[in-house]
Amino acid sequence: MASNISSDLIWEITRGHSSTLVKRKQAGGQQFSRDRLNLRNLYRRKYEGVCSDKAIGVQPAKEGGVVLLTKKANKENAPASQIQEATFGPSTSTRKTYKAIANSTAKRNYRPDLRADAVARASAIRKSQKPVKEDKPEKLRGAKARVAASA
Amino acid sequence: MSRPTVAVVSPGGESKETLAIPQVFKSPIRPDIVHSVHTGMAKNRRQPYAVSEKAGHQTSAESWGTGRAVARIPRVSGGGTHRAGQAAFGNMCRSGRMFAPTKVWRKWHQKINLNQKRFATASALAASSSAALLMARGHNVSTVPEVPLVVSSTAFADAAIAKTSAALALLKAVGAGSDVEKVAGSRKLRAGKGKLRGRRHRQRRGPLVVYNPDEDGKELVLAFRNIPGVETSSVYSLNLLQLAPGGHLGRFIVWTSSAFSALDKIYGSTTEPSALKKDFLLPSATMKNADLSKLINSGEIQKVLRPVRGGAISKRSVVQKKNPLKNFQVQLRLNPYAAAFSKNKLGQESVKSGKPGSAGAQFEKLLHEN
Repeated sequence: MASNISSDLIWEITRGHSSTLVKRKQAGGQQFSRDRLNLRNLYRRKYEGVCSDKAIGVQPAKEGGVVLLTKKANKENAPASQIQEATFGPSTSTRKTYKAIANSTAKRNYRPDLRADAVARASAIRKSQKPVKEDKPEKLRGAKARVAASA
Repeated sequence: MSRPTVAVVSPGGESKETLAIPQVFKSPIRPDIVHSVHTGMAKNRRQPYAVSEKAGHQTSAESWGTGRAVARIPRVSGGGTHRAGQAAFGNMCRSGRMFAPTKVWRKWHQKINLNQKRFATASALAASSSAALLMARGHNVSTVPEVPLVVSSTAFADAAIAKTSAALALLKAVGAGSDVEKVAGSRKLRAGKGKLRGRRHRQRRGPLVVYNPDEDGKELVLAFRNIPGVETSSVYSLNLLQLAPGGHLGRFIVWTSSAFSALDKIYGSTTEPSALKKDFLLPSATMKNADLSKLINSGEIQKVLRPVRGGAISKRSVVQKKNPLKNFQVQLRLNPYAAAFSKNKLGQESVKSGKPGSAGAQFEKLLHEN
């Protein structure tokens, strides 16, 4: 990072107005973030990926599974090559996916503070990709059941 | 200096050319100065407006005075029409004049100190070299190889970019295409009366193409002007309203290489006065290194701090309480003898010696005697 710019300064400049900031009345004052390198979608210094030189993102992959995004700290001014992607497909077991996420980030001293959030997000994504269970057919009671039985 | 050079992108062939980053990009970034200068500059394009001097006063109304059981507001004289006898002039009256009618001699323009304007421009230029600030401003720069984005001037030579199709192809080739597309998709009908006042649509801002008119020519202005959101500016007359639209830092700028290398001549440095601006030195930063956490963790500072008290075995105050009867390690901390007690199996002595035998037949007999 250039000597006149630091991630602390970027946060102070952008915290009031940023393209990732979502500020709505119905959220009860809660500030959300659209940043894909934000693991909890909360607009905080800790979670905001735009203003930190190391950041983790977990997004659903196109073909199921999750994509792990990490920001390369030495590429802060090269947006095209800034983000490294690693895909864990739907056939990779969830335990292996979480393990891989923790091993490739938190255990390598790459934002260990975000380990739990990264794993939780991956878990939520995998859960959302499960097929929706169909409702059981309704069991009729009383008069309706009698009508159905006679018919 | 961690990043003294920037690679020059040439859309046609491969180029290994690099340029030194001009001094102006090391200026301190001061959003407060940029914002206040922008507020002033944005006011300097306004045209005066006012209501008519005569509005609400084109009647010969006079007050009826007291005694007629009506308010003493001036009332239109005469008869034969409904207007007669109605109140006039006052701001509370129908067809009266407004309160404090606007005048064309309002103070429309703001004087801004020249040095502040130059500071703000330098600051906005420095901010345009940070990819994070570009993204936070909303520019779509994920395909841009490097910021600041410098395009070789050979691409503009001999009026090569004189047609809009060529200009668009150039922007796409250097990775600025997605930002241009974003602008085209953002065009919306403006809310409110502005629609009737020549501001029908609103849209995002795209890249700003900065060129050197002496070397790149001026044909490119015509080529770029019909691409939505794209603006062009001569490097000799950069404008804060374009460098920090809305007072927000981080405009995406596409530099031609000749414009980029002219920056050192235009702005000078913190010690060398500018060649083109009278009495101007670039502002120097109060802090040479803005990265506070790096400073705190540096060897020079850590060396003079007192060592951490307690060290690695400092007391951890908020931890879960462990039951020493169940957790042997915790028990050892409280009772070091527990180790020897357990090792010598002293707790099992009684088990080893077996069950006590019967007390004898005599004792049984005595016990059951009535």
